[in-house]
Amino acid sequence: MAAELGALPWSTRVHIWDAAMAAVRGYFRDQGLREVSTPVRVRAVAVEPFIEPIAAPPGLLATSPELAMKRLLVRGSGPIFQIAHVFRRAEIGERHSEEFHLVEWYRLGADLEPLLADVEALVARVFAATGSNGHVPKTWQRARFLEVVTATCGALLRGDEDAGSLAAALPPALAAEVARTLAPAGELEPWARTLLAWTGFFTAWSDMFFETWLKEHEGTHLVDFPAPLAALAVTDPAQPWLARRAECHVGGLEIANGYVELRDADEQRRRFAAVNELRRVYGAPALPIDDDFLAELPGLPPCAGIALGLDRLIALAVGRTRLADVSLSLGGA
Amino acid sequence: MDVSELRKNAKVQLDGHPYVVVEFLFVKPGKGQGLYKCKLKNMITGAVLDRTWRSGEKFDPANVESRKMQYLFKDQNGYTFMDNESYEQVALAEEIVSDDSAFLLDQISVDVLFYNDRPVGVTLPSHIVMTITECEPGVKGDTATNATKNATVETGHKIQVPLFIREGDKVKIDTRTGAYVERINT
Repeated sequence: MAAELGALPWSTRVHIWDAAMAAVRGYFRDQGLREVSTPVRVRAVAVEPFIEPIAAPPGLLATSPELAMKRLLVRGSGPIFQIAHVFRRAEIGERHSEEFHLVEWYRLGADLEPLLADVEALVARVFAATGSNGHVPKTWQRARFLEVVTATCGALLRGDEDAGSLAAALPPALAAEVARTLAPAGELEPWARTLLAWTGFFTAWSDMFFETWLKEHEGTHLVDFPAPLAALAVTDPAQPWLARRAECHVGGLEIANGYVELRDADEQRRRFAAVNELRRVYGAPALPIDDDFLAELPGLPPCAGIALGLDRLIALAVGRTRLADVSLSLGGA
Repeated sequence: MDVSELRKNAKVQLDGHPYVVVEFLFVKPGKGQGLYKCKLKNMITGAVLDRTWRSGEKFDPANVESRKMQYLFKDQNGYTFMDNESYEQVALAEEIVSDDSAFLLDQISVDVLFYNDRPVGVTLPSHIVMTITECEPGVKGDTATNATKNATVETGHKIQVPLFIREGDKVKIDTRTGAYVERINT
């Protein structure tokens, strides 16, 4: 129903973006975080399996401000936030745009909880500031990734299964999707093969099970990701098969993704290399590894960071799900 | 072609048949693979099927040829178009034009698609400007609310428009969704 409300008049769009950005800045200022602005054109981006940067010779347009903000933390910035313009090639749809805004912030201390509390507070503030007719989540729940998997599709997983044991534990429909993901992969490092299998599983499970489950819950923090899907997060020292990563969802829409940040440069380099290996299988170009970032990473103070899609949050706040209904983009690109 | 080229109205060759994408949804679970969910219509038989591609996969474009033509009129033979260069006229049956007929303004220029020299479809410009012929009265100054009302454009197509739109206004419409985009100031 929400999508049928249609595009907002321009004057309204200007009003809600102004109100939303002021609310974000006001919130973080109250919390003692400082605002930064890092370059949009960068030499390298975080190496992700399915996030494609847009070339801007001699560099790339940032897909996220993550690496630059961590380098500021290394330099003693203390807690910081940013409203960043980011670009991801070929992500075009009702809920995706090649250019969008990430609110990204970092707090000191290896703990996700304060960031999840921030997300809840920010959602409430932005909904209120925009004079919202959207539906503010009254309750937020924490849901463990693998428990939701078991509840929705019955599979019992620990988080560190390799490609073979993962497929064996899944119901046939999901196992078939994992096989489809692995089909183009011939020879592959075991680590990259595991990553590919879990990525294929996550994609198919989200599509077939998780999205339906999410719609029955208002605000959800999905926590304790399986280790292969750690991305740039640390694994849990007590349970190394789990990663300290969280995804936040409102009304079935993913709005934020956060990590307790990995500070081990060797491990980070190994993960980037595994992702590049996986990209090769899919015919995607290998991405440059940010050696400057990796050289400085050991100096990163214990911290946690999270990025929230501002365009999606604003759309939700005014009862829309289509980004185009609220966007200030004038078209053309 | 790379699946990132898929969108509504893309023409796809599948199992030896030309299909047009009639519904398209791009979704991407956080850091997962992109899913290109398509409802495809066989351009010859009209049969409809669902197909989901994933990022990194490929598809074959349909072997269709497109010619710029102008819409002339509708009669019992269907919708007649004229080739802008050869002045040759062809009639397209109603089931081929189907929902696109809502946007066939007199003399509008479109791409008519041919498969083995047989017309199989029409590709409209993504946005067209049409005049509101009927709607409830406008509410003066009300540009800030989210409320909408029913309106009819000159082809008889019905759309939802903001309250400030009045009869006689020209509005831009997205032909892929059929939805109102903005008022055109004249």
